[in-house]
Amino acid sequence: MILDPFLAWVESTTLSQWIVGSPSMFAFPGILVLHAIGMGFAVGVSAALDLRILGVAARIPLAEMRRFLPFLWAGFWLNAASGVLLLIGYPTKALTNPVFYLKLTLIAVAMVLLLRISRSAFAAEGITATPDRDLPPRLRTLAIASLVCWAGAITAGRLLAYTYTRLTQLH
Amino acid sequence: MHDFQVWLVTTIYKHSPVADLMRTAWAWPIAESLHFLGLCLLVGAIGTFDLRLLGIARKVPIVAVHRFIPWGLAGFAINILTGTLFIFTEPDQYIYNPSFHFKLLFMTIGGLNAATFYLTSYRRIFGPNAPLDAPKRAKVIAAISLCAWIGVITGGRLLTFYRPAPCDGRQTSLLLACQP
Repeated sequence: MILDPFLAWVESTTLSQWIVGSPSMFAFPGILVLHAIGMGFAVGVSAALDLRILGVAARIPLAEMRRFLPFLWAGFWLNAASGVLLLIGYPTKALTNPVFYLKLTLIAVAMVLLLRISRSAFAAEGITATPDRDLPPRLRTLAIASLVCWAGAITAGRLLAYTYTRLTQLH
Repeated sequence: MHDFQVWLVTTIYKHSPVADLMRTAWAWPIAESLHFLGLCLLVGAIGTFDLRLLGIARKVPIVAVHRFIPWGLAGFAINILTGTLFIFTEPDQYIYNPSFHFKLLFMTIGGLNAATFYLTSYRRIFGPNAPLDAPKRAKVIAAISLCAWIGVITGGRLLTFYRPAPCDGRQTSLLLACQP
């Protein structure tokens, strides 16, 4: 693979070797823990917003769901950071696996959907009072697509442990 | 407790109806993916409700946010089911695993905490003239709930790093945390 020299360099760095090799629970295991917690908040709050659009907890004014979004973003950035650390730990394992690119694509699509949902659901002043039946029907489609993308991203992420063909440059 | 743990592992190994299915190529990864989806549903629903009790979106009636709770329970049910599949396939990897013991402890705290909420705060929060600001006791319960579920996730994610090694004679703790 054309990236091999670069991947070999990443794996030779102190950070990569600490992440993978340190016996500390704050190294690889701790990063995985943060990645799971971040997932819970990012996907969980996004799913709650999607469910609200689909009619669950309909007495919550839709625009008020925006108050929970900082926790979604906190989870997202926690996972971006912990994900980069996991990638620095095992760059060959991830970057030689097509499923990894599928996972990133699904996350990217889910985030674009979130931005479009936010614009549509939170933008207009006074939308707080808009009854659900006046919501644009497109919003429901976006919410369903968002749920599907997150389910796909989680499944792809879990399958990374089973579908890789090369672990490191040494293997 | 040690004898009970050994009996449990032996009995499950002898009678598990799902072990053969779970050892097929895709069953375990699929169950794991469902377990993660259930986790997100649980955090999304119960976490959102806890955050509301703590004062996020304080203009929204608490009872309105409570409508998410059945979805959190659905996530919990998915995870009890898939979790049972894992235990019924590799019982020793869980029953003797200290990380699993902590996971169960945090689940118990989360459950008793939720029961306390409904026993002590239900009437005040959901009755007529319910305040928009949750009473202090409910806020403490919400904070404990968030911590407990984060503890459950942590215990679950660390399982694989605390796989029980063979016992080497002396084992004095309350629970057996090695392979006898």
